Amino acid sequence: MSLWRSCPVALIAESSAQLTLSFCCGLKKMAASKVKQDMPPPGGYGPVDYKRNLPKRGLSGYSMFGIGLGVMVFGYWRLFKWNRERRRLQIEDFEARLALMPLLQAEHDRRTLRIMRENLEEEAILMKDVPGWKIGESVYNTDRWVIPTSDELFNLRPREELLHTNLGFRWYV
Amino acid sequence: MPSTVELPGLDELKVEEVQVSSAVLKAAAHHYGSQCDKPNKEFMLCRWEEKDPRKCLEEGKQVNACAMNFFRQIKGSCAESFTEYWTCLDYSSTAELRRCRKQQEKFDNCVLDKLGWQRPDLGELSKVTKVTTSRPLPENPYHSRERPEPNKITEGKLVPSKHGSAVFFWNW
Repeated sequence: MSLWRSCPVALIAESSAQLTLSFCCGLKKMAASKVKQDMPPPGGYGPVDYKRNLPKRGLSGYSMFGIGLGVMVFGYWRLFKWNRERRRLQIEDFEARLALMPLLQAEHDRRTLRIMRENLEEEAILMKDVPGWKIGESVYNTDRWVIPTSDELFNLRPREELLHTNLGFRWYV
Repeated sequence: MPSTVELPGLDELKVEEVQVSSAVLKAAAHHYGSQCDKPNKEFMLCRWEEKDPRKCLEEGKQVNACAMNFFRQIKGSCAESFTEYWTCLDYSSTAELRRCRKQQEKFDNCVLDKLGWQRPDLGELSKVTKVTTSRPLPENPYHSRERPEPNKITEGKLVPSKHGSAVFFWNW
């Protein structure tokens, strides 16, 4: 026990390299130098960086806002330009339709009149012996041209044609 | 009293139809609009004024004749470039004109060189035009009945009612 008291406390403050040796003063000398241990490099470790490191870098907040706003404005400008171009293309498409309308209208008129004529002739055959039936009689009280309904036109034709006329433009039913 | 609907016979409706698909029509639409302008406008004027397709069969026949003539002229001179143009348009279901600008330019140049047709600028086909016809303006195209006579002018001195409005709670 007296050996313990002879070891001064100041020895504990020595560098760690000699700590094990100094701890063993008075005790049995261990074969420390003979065993291979993972020791710190000679001269000790370098200085450890422990202070706060928050460097001021990058753009400021204002400039980031500015860049974002600039990108948005550029996007809007492109969008408006393309919308104007789309409007011009739409006008071009409409003009194509305008130019073709007389042809399509004339063909449609002829087709309607042809179907009505064929229906009239069928009616003359079918209602020949029905008493009191006037063939080709108009159901309206007026003399003007009444646009015929698709039901009336496709009455004597297969149902598929009527459906095609009414729903042909749709993708779904 | 209901009368018979007069319909033209099938012979009157017989006309040389333009047997052509939609992409072809759309490809040629702008030139067709500027070349066949007169009979088209006459037909549309007739149709809109008379409101009766039976009365405009003649004009319709002229529309068809002009269209046939138009396509014959194209077939005669610029057939290849026109075929390329409308096949390019036909490639998509939407037939967007902006996808085929190269072929359109080729076709336009060919038509301008050989036939002297200029493609109308944007907005020219949608301008309102005046059409001169020899057909008289129809009176009463809706075949409306006679209008009833207007009410007679009320005679006598007009005074506001004695106890205010008889209709509602305010007093004027």
